[in-house]
Amino acid sequence: MTDSTAPRPPTGDHQVPLELQVNGRTARLSADIRTTLLDALRDGLGLTGSKKGCDRGQCGACTVHVDGRRVLSCLTLAVGAQGKQVTTIEGVAEGDRLSPVQQAFLDHDGFQCGFCTPGQIMSAICAIRDGDTGSDAAVREAMSGNICRCGAYEGILRAVRSAAERTARQEGTG
Amino acid sequence: MAKPLIGTATARVDGTAKVTGRADYAADRTEPGLAHGHLVLSTAGRGTLRSMDVTAAEAAEGVLAVYSPFNPLKLHRIKTTPDVCFVGQFWLPLQDQEIRHYGQIIGLVVAETFEQARHAASLIRAEYDLLPVRADFAGRIAHAVPPPVAINHEDPQVDLLAEEFGTVDEALAAGPVQVRATYTQPPEAPLALEPHACLASWSEGVLTLRVGSQSPVGGALAAAETLGIGLDQVRVLSPYVGGAFGGKLYIWPHPLLTAAAARELGRPVRTVLTQEQVFTTVGHRSAVSQTLALGAERDGTLVAVKHDAVSSLSLSGVIYETAAHTTSRYTYKSPSLHVGQRIVPLDSPPTTWVRAPGEAPGAFALESAMDELATELALDPVELRMRNYATVFPGRGVRWSGKHLDECYRVGAERFGWQPRTAPRPQPAEDSDQVWLTGTGMAGATYPGNLLPTTLANVRLRADGTATVATATSDPGTGMRTVLAMVCADDLGIPVERVEALVGDSALPLNYGAFASMGTSSSAGAVRSATTALKQRLLDLAAGDARSPFHGLAAEALAYRDGRVVGGGHSLTFAELLAATGLSELDSPGASAPGAERLRFAVHSFGAHFCELRVNRWTGEVRLDRWTSVIDGGTIINPRTARAQIVGGILFGIGQALLEGIRVEPDTGRFANGNLADYLVPVHADMPDFDIHFLDHPDTDFTPLGARGIGELGVVGTAAAIANAVHDATGRRVRDLPITVDKLL
Repeated sequence: MTDSTAPRPPTGDHQVPLELQVNGRTARLSADIRTTLLDALRDGLGLTGSKKGCDRGQCGACTVHVDGRRVLSCLTLAVGAQGKQVTTIEGVAEGDRLSPVQQAFLDHDGFQCGFCTPGQIMSAICAIRDGDTGSDAAVREAMSGNICRCGAYEGILRAVRSAAERTARQEGTG
Repeated sequence: MAKPLIGTATARVDGTAKVTGRADYAADRTEPGLAHGHLVLSTAGRGTLRSMDVTAAEAAEGVLAVYSPFNPLKLHRIKTTPDVCFVGQFWLPLQDQEIRHYGQIIGLVVAETFEQARHAASLIRAEYDLLPVRADFAGRIAHAVPPPVAINHEDPQVDLLAEEFGTVDEALAAGPVQVRATYTQPPEAPLALEPHACLASWSEGVLTLRVGSQSPVGGALAAAETLGIGLDQVRVLSPYVGGAFGGKLYIWPHPLLTAAAARELGRPVRTVLTQEQVFTTVGHRSAVSQTLALGAERDGTLVAVKHDAVSSLSLSGVIYETAAHTTSRYTYKSPSLHVGQRIVPLDSPPTTWVRAPGEAPGAFALESAMDELATELALDPVELRMRNYATVFPGRGVRWSGKHLDECYRVGAERFGWQPRTAPRPQPAEDSDQVWLTGTGMAGATYPGNLLPTTLANVRLRADGTATVATATSDPGTGMRTVLAMVCADDLGIPVERVEALVGDSALPLNYGAFASMGTSSSAGAVRSATTALKQRLLDLAAGDARSPFHGLAAEALAYRDGRVVGGGHSLTFAELLAATGLSELDSPGASAPGAERLRFAVHSFGAHFCELRVNRWTGEVRLDRWTSVIDGGTIINPRTARAQIVGGILFGIGQALLEGIRVEPDTGRFANGNLADYLVPVHADMPDFDIHFLDHPDTDFTPLGARGIGELGVVGTAAAIANAVHDATGRRVRDLPITVDKLL
């Protein structure tokens, strides 16, 4: 009985130079061609806020924004993210001033262990922007790609609803 | 007097770190010269590893070492048991060629990068001499045996019989009404979202091990024992833990191998498990089968309870579910009572503690059986429970330190709008176009209140007006940091923002950690002991130090109030007093430990769950709509994090009821759905609307603070409440979890 299941990458030197636009800055690094955007952010750039829960697109903990859309960075190759604007949890606050969604997660206890939280917040920011958060049912659907094993969904729901309402008010008055 | 913090909803003190991504979990740190480990797991379930071809792996780019049973990292044998040593299993990987379960560790590849290590691991070929695998729990129940050791200090079979009966079966037969049924559930995974990870680095013979753990001290004990070093040569750091649920109580072998590799290579090594690897290299909850028989008078009074549980036990471990001893043993008053436990040893990954171990499956069976009895008697299920209400722990003759379960039932029924029922809900006519069938269900919940062995804490006042509280527990999302800061701030009469809580470090004052819902009552007690002593030290300083404005006054003439020392016409903040006396800080240790309360009282937390759900008449889909729980947990220190604990526990129970279960291939022992896509857990859309209410009955017979644990209580009874509601909606009694659509079609 033998085992050998993983696909074979090409042999030879796998390192390539990469240029990524992350949180408004240009970052240059050398990475393996197999490196996911998640691993490039975490290991290459030290941006460890994005989490590796499953590395297979099953949990949502690695959610970041690429050109304004929420993507699973564990299913995105770093080489493929070149030339696009990447935003991570480290890029949503303005200095020490938390973004409204971050503040709402604090205000409504939208987390417990905190591991899924960066992904939840990145998902929520996009869901609010995309107008998918107009009702409790809409939030539950829009946020169901981000698993929280602690079961903080109730706080997440209240946080997303309140941030969405606040955003809508600001847009209404702005 | 400042408003008391205890009992006031308080935001988590580590919240900002968590919403900004700054909270550093075990896999988030790096070190200069870091190398990356990747595990190799067996693809056989039992036998002998005949050979491993590592040639290609060793030749692969970036590979530093390939360790295997044929090129082992030497670890010292475990001299104790898997629980005492905190490794979680008897044997350590790579020390022999035996294959004990599918997915066990048979290799560790270390390379310069993560990608290189993962790729090289995939190049390894293993050959096995196979033996038949004993993995079929259901098929082996007939071979179940009594466990070799006591359960909660009692025999595996306990019979408390009314004197006229020789056996519990005779007692059952004397009841005019009887129900008897078997309830089953598959193994479950704790499945914290953070996969287990570790970073080991050595400096001058001292190991620093970063690992997400419920028990940094336990991790240090395990590392010292298996790596052959002193306890003063290891420090385990778990500043942030990405969920645990029992799965991170023991350290498991991968950090020990990683530390050994780091020692041999002279480089820091980080090993991050994949979720697929987590399923088989760390523990899971036993599969459980329970047979419950209830005998009752026609008015619902129980005459006998007979609860026999069978659990799977991994041959690698010692932990299994004790479903009857943890529930039917004491939940209801009955003149005759029998609980029994047997185990089915399997060639499986280690079985271990998972949130509400014993109570979670036990309450599913018992509280389902009570519902079945209520149906049989045409009696309201709440009323049936009240007619069998226990005020004295059966067979021990002691009362509970605090028990307000009756109030939980009553208040819960009121808040929920429970309609007492005595007859089955009518089903729609065959030709009705009704799609959703609505049902309601309820169940009770119990969880023991225990205290850790000796628990220490240190509280330090600083001249800048801040304080720190330190103890070696961890905060896997429970809110422990916040609770410790609150107790400290409350005792010192200062705002919580001025207290820093230090946890997650084995070098802090001794604390076995956060598990079995003991963390808050134990750790908070140690903090209170420390603050009490510290305030006295401060008064002694004020009276005794020549530079103090209070000098010359008797310490007894001084008082500490709201962060100030007052007396003799003076009033100084502790910061001013420390500055006046030339001290930068003043500290005191404190301790808590179990005492005689366990002999004088039974100690449990209680609760009652009520839920409403819909079942789709055509697809069998179950949707939970609303949920009310009333909780009797003694003093609630932080209602905000307490609510989160209860809600999170109920969601854990919703998973047990509707979604979760490891599918074991009987011939190989492989976990067929051992990944986050195929092992289903509740997602956001699965959540009902929650109404959570805490009763306010401080349990000062248990601890001075009056707090009991609530971290696991929410799980208990949840699956039964759901199964009972499904029965109410559909008329179908599902006794095999999870309640999937195929069981309702």
